[in-house]
Amino acid sequence: MCALLLLPTAAFAHAHLVSSTPAAKATVHGPAVAFELRFNSRVDGRRSVLTLVMADGHTQTLTMDKQSGEANLNAHATLTPGNYTLRWQALSTDGHITRGEIPFSVS
Amino acid sequence: MRALSFALEALSFGGVFFLLFAARPAQLRPEPQMRLRRIASRFALALAITQFVLIATTSAMLIGGSGMGSGKGLLDLLSAAYFISGTAFAIASLALFLLLRLVSRLAPSLLALLIALAASVSLSHAASRMDHRPLLLILTAAHHLGMSAWLGALPFLLVALKLNSDAETSRQMAKRFSAMAVASVTILVFAGAGLSWFYAGSWQGMYGTSYGLLLSAKIVLTALMLTLGAGNYFLLRRVNVNLAPILARLRRFSEAEIGLGITVILAAASLTAQSPSVDETPQDTITGRQVIERMEWRWPGFHTPALAELAPPTPLSVAVREATYTGGSASDANDRAWSEYNHHWAGLIVLAAGALAFVSRLPRQRWAGYWPLLFLCLAIFILLRADPECWPLGPRPFWASFTAPDVLEHRACAVLVAAFALFEWGVQTGRLHWPRARFIFPVLCVAGGALLLTHTHALGEGNGEVYAELSHTPIALLGAVAGCGRWLELRFDGSTGSGRESGPSRMAAWTWPACLILIGLLLLNYRES
Repeated sequence: MCALLLLPTAAFAHAHLVSSTPAAKATVHGPAVAFELRFNSRVDGRRSVLTLVMADGHTQTLTMDKQSGEANLNAHATLTPGNYTLRWQALSTDGHITRGEIPFSVS
Repeated sequence: MRALSFALEALSFGGVFFLLFAARPAQLRPEPQMRLRRIASRFALALAITQFVLIATTSAMLIGGSGMGSGKGLLDLLSAAYFISGTAFAIASLALFLLLRLVSRLAPSLLALLIALAASVSLSHAASRMDHRPLLLILTAAHHLGMSAWLGALPFLLVALKLNSDAETSRQMAKRFSAMAVASVTILVFAGAGLSWFYAGSWQGMYGTSYGLLLSAKIVLTALMLTLGAGNYFLLRRVNVNLAPILARLRRFSEAEIGLGITVILAAASLTAQSPSVDETPQDTITGRQVIERMEWRWPGFHTPALAELAPPTPLSVAVREATYTGGSASDANDRAWSEYNHHWAGLIVLAAGALAFVSRLPRQRWAGYWPLLFLCLAIFILLRADPECWPLGPRPFWASFTAPDVLEHRACAVLVAAFALFEWGVQTGRLHWPRARFIFPVLCVAGGALLLTHTHALGEGNGEVYAELSHTPIALLGAVAGCGRWLELRFDGSTGSGRESGPSRMAAWTWPACLILIGLLLLNYRES
């Protein structure tokens, strides 16, 4: 029973991503790209993380902007045309950490 | 860790409630009361330690993901809502431990309990909801209190009955506990119904999402516990003077209640990590018609694709990252066929084991007592075929592949099944003389059911996860019932296990082979496409 309790369970479904800008697999116009992620519950904007993954695998942690709502995460970046993945890690106010990825392109 | 936290919270709070509303009013002697206080205090200490570990784990994940380990970042970490609530929870639990040990009055312990409860509720789903937050917080607090005063206090009743020799005191304690249980169950059920209303949102939310299916399983398990509890309640009402004739029956049914309660707590912990049904999108939900189509009987074909026809395995680091960020990769038709073939063979093995278990109870059919060895074959089958991308069928190394959560769970399951097979074979054939070995079967059944309820399937986006839960949830429930049935059979059967069977023992004896057969049929009907 102790081993059971120590088994990891994916908490990926708790602070559920309801919608995002850009949406998954969308193409947006650069170079200024604004990111907004909307969740189903309150998230801690100061302690959540948005990371940009470039096509070559290089990563860049984005500086978080002021939250536009209690359930939103906001950031922005200047990007050249190409394929990117936005990797998010959201801390809910109840202490759960959830993660996800949003692939998108910049034209 | 969340499940451990819930269990320790229920036990430490339950100890206080039992002392306050049952033991003291029944005038239990000071020495047993002190024993109960010490037991409750140990649970409170363990709860405090668990909270510190949870805070440390979450903080480590945040530091690892965002580099918040120093300077302003560290201040940000220390001022996070989870950190403050978790610390308050830990400190209040520590205070409860000290007060139970050092202060004879229970009022200060009750105050520490209420502060710990408030901190616990501030770490629940309710605290992060956008709408109806105050009401959800109140309902969550009531739900926690109800669970603690019923399930958390139940072990203390069993201990108190064992420690106490005065018949009238035992009767008073049992009756007062019974009254407390009725009140707490009422609060638990109404609060739970309210939470289900907000989190499930609709009937489809109860059967069409992973959250809903897990919630439904929790409700079924609670109903089973209530049935056992109701039996004890009516038994107590019939006894006016002496508890002794019914004491054994009271204890046995309470033990089974506790076993089911542990599974409920694990299900509750798993629910905290799931998104409520009201937040799911249509592509993550299935309809009633889809449920019926999926549950319709279809004869299994027992055809497996070749290993080379499966999707090529990705490197382990990619698989772990996928499981972390996306919930796993979606499976193609060959992957699904492979999985279905595995489940069908597992079903055949379990069905055969259940049938032989029935036969072994008939006169002159002792040869059928070797049925547990079929589970050894199942364990080897799981080890070889559950994860074809890993050793021995795939390129991922055996030890390194433990980092993938679903691989770890499959192998834990294989170990559980193998352990069960060997111990139960020893018990059934009389080779194992250790008296407690008989109880490994029911404990592992309940453990297996709980593991299945909290199992992640890593099937990526969409409703694949829901379809998998649709099969696994009833199997998990049957596993828990089988475990309780076998436990009751053994406990009512006398100390040697070979004496004359009592009525409840006979009834329980037929329950678990029937559950095995039903599990076998569910596995034979398993489909992913």
